[in-house]
Amino acid sequence: MLSRVANNLIWMNRYMERGYSVLNLLKVNYSAHQDSPDLFPWTPIIKNYCGSESGFSSENSIECINHMVFNLDNQNSIINLVTRSRENARSVQEHIPRELWLGINSYYLYLTKPELPSKLYQEDPVVFLDRLLNHQLLYYGKIDITQERGSAYYFMDIGKFLERVIQISDLASMKLKEIAKTSDALERSFLWKNFLLSIGAYQLYLKKYKSTFQEDFIIKLIFQEQLFPKSLYYCVNKLSRHINQLIQTNELVNNDLEFLLGKLQSTIQYTTIESINEQGLTNFIASIKNDISNISLSINNVYFSNQS
Amino acid sequence: MQEPSFFSSYDFLKDTWDEMFTNNHALREQYEIISNYLQHTSAEELSKKEELSKQLFMHQGVTFTVYNDEKGIEKIFPFDILPRIITSKEWGKIEKGIKQRITALNLFIKDIYNDQFILKDKVVPASLIYDCPYFLREMKGVAPPFDIYVHITGVDLIRNNDGEFYVLEDNLRTPSGVSYMLENREISKRIFPGILPKCNVLSVSSYPDILYKKLCECSTQDNPNVVLLTPGIYNSAYYEHTTLARLMGIELVEGSDLVVKDHVVYMKTTFGLKRVDVIYRRVDDDFLDPMEFNSNSVLGVAGIMSSYRKGNVTIVNAPGTGIADDKAVYTFVPDMIRYYLNEEPILKNIETYQLGKPEDLDYVKKNINKMVIKKTDGSGGYGMLMGHEASNEEIDNYFKVVNKNPAAYIAQPILKLSTAPCYIDGKLSPRCVDLRPFALYGPDGIDICPGGLTRVALKKGSLVVNSSQGGGSKDTWVIK
Repeated sequence: MLSRVANNLIWMNRYMERGYSVLNLLKVNYSAHQDSPDLFPWTPIIKNYCGSESGFSSENSIECINHMVFNLDNQNSIINLVTRSRENARSVQEHIPRELWLGINSYYLYLTKPELPSKLYQEDPVVFLDRLLNHQLLYYGKIDITQERGSAYYFMDIGKFLERVIQISDLASMKLKEIAKTSDALERSFLWKNFLLSIGAYQLYLKKYKSTFQEDFIIKLIFQEQLFPKSLYYCVNKLSRHINQLIQTNELVNNDLEFLLGKLQSTIQYTTIESINEQGLTNFIASIKNDISNISLSINNVYFSNQS
Repeated sequence: MQEPSFFSSYDFLKDTWDEMFTNNHALREQYEIISNYLQHTSAEELSKKEELSKQLFMHQGVTFTVYNDEKGIEKIFPFDILPRIITSKEWGKIEKGIKQRITALNLFIKDIYNDQFILKDKVVPASLIYDCPYFLREMKGVAPPFDIYVHITGVDLIRNNDGEFYVLEDNLRTPSGVSYMLENREISKRIFPGILPKCNVLSVSSYPDILYKKLCECSTQDNPNVVLLTPGIYNSAYYEHTTLARLMGIELVEGSDLVVKDHVVYMKTTFGLKRVDVIYRRVDDDFLDPMEFNSNSVLGVAGIMSSYRKGNVTIVNAPGTGIADDKAVYTFVPDMIRYYLNEEPILKNIETYQLGKPEDLDYVKKNINKMVIKKTDGSGGYGMLMGHEASNEEIDNYFKVVNKNPAAYIAQPILKLSTAPCYIDGKLSPRCVDLRPFALYGPDGIDICPGGLTRVALKKGSLVVNSSQGGGSKDTWVIK
């Protein structure tokens, strides 16, 4: 496979995964904001995705959703993420199933319909966001059913899980800042619950720990749950498997990748709740973010390095 | 059912051959089945089919992006749903004529870059060649495998009011549009279910297979690695590049994916460097190799020409084929056919006046209202003057520019392009069409896909079919 193709496959999936996270977060925050606007403000979300100097500031839910879905100046708006993902998909059409390309193209065409933005103001925003989420889910479904399991699939999965780890850890740091602001137990439990909802882990939490919100359980679920596709443990495990597969077939240069992944895996797996609490969750997440950014850089280096 | 109204208002163009109706307004035989179908279809149904065709193009991504204020807008190449139908007899002549023409043109290019017999025998003036911007000195003495220069061509034909096909242009560099030939057929199958087999239409779907076979055959390697070189996603024909690569199962590469080492071209893969044997390039000569041509080019590959000269890679079409594609050289194609093949041309050339000759310039000036003037190195319908619709001031201004270098211009009488019925605003209306069949030249001969791209001037009365100037396309059916 061409190195450029491998790189484009990674980014095609990274942008899609980011879009999926953003949409979920918008949907959950929209509902939470209806309950308690003070506890679930939009500003931290906008700041996280658009930077602190974006010039956009609003606590109006619809305006915020509009900014996060349609604003072309916002690098992480859904329309920009899907456009970039589509551009990557377009240039790797020989390597992805036809169904996948048609799906992502039709998502793009749907998003760029001139009449779509007005719908956000006319109909239920949840229905509106669900429609976009459906496109995202179709995308994953199509990959699952039609993509050949081989190097293209591994590169795509690397993109997906890299981005997922980044999204979950970013979201965790964002929520931790909010949680730190309050000592009210009820408010804290609201915030934790909201965090679980935003990454799609709420249902599993209830099933496992019932309706009692304890930080230790939540941390365990999000960081160390072995069989949950949104836990950091699961994502890093997948990442490591696919990277190793590509290293074994000589399609990825090892450099220090195996070392970095092994280190991250054991950090996540073997750090006890006690020691996380000891160093502080914020520091723990910061070290994960640092590790994942080194892994990401190391993969990028392979493709941007001068092979000639 | 009553005859739908869109049939009665067909507004024939004077002195023009119509593809569907004879001069006496009788239906031509090859259109009987489709006409019968139309008689039983309401305008509403046809409009729905037209809408469906647009959606299909959009959703398949058969689009090009127009950039406006950095915001990309997806556009489709307009498609008229009614097919243009060619009889097997007409096709037989077209096929023979194109094969003859391409054989001669290929011999001409070989001759020009080697012995130059045709110049020494004064059949073609040497100055014409050396003044031509498409002449590449870098190609002198280079021997492409099997002496094939023009592997892929898309000759533009038009039908005059005498019913004969004339060659308008030879398009020997990187002709585009073949993906529309394939895609238009897929759309026809969807909008006219059951009609194609009834009409005995020849299939075009094997084009990618034949293309791949020819590309492989022109390599000297066993099991060669064939790639398609694209200028990238911002090129208006990018859709075509992705389609052809996908349908042939070959890699679509950009200049930055390739590298030349010790005169061998490699592509950068996840496994390391992999040798490339055949490059179907959709990048113009000028941009192919920054070491030899345009040094600012980032679309090409440094050193690719040296690799080519060593015979380590086959470039398709060969660099320098533009020399036979020049509008001034075009005039001499019938002479080339006689000179190299000792045959009379099967397909006619359009009478062409070279403004570099004082007597021709004089004649053209006197008859300007019947003439079209073109730049010899122009394409895409740009820089033309259509004498019958230009104002005196426009003509004067144009000649001011021409007079600076008359040899860079040719003139041709304005032909009556044949018309074919188009479905426009709920009615059938005649619109001017041309025809671009695609020919593939390999070591075992020339194959021409039975069909091609019919381009149509969608503006009423317009003779310009170029997509950049309001043109669209039609599916082209060749009957068994």
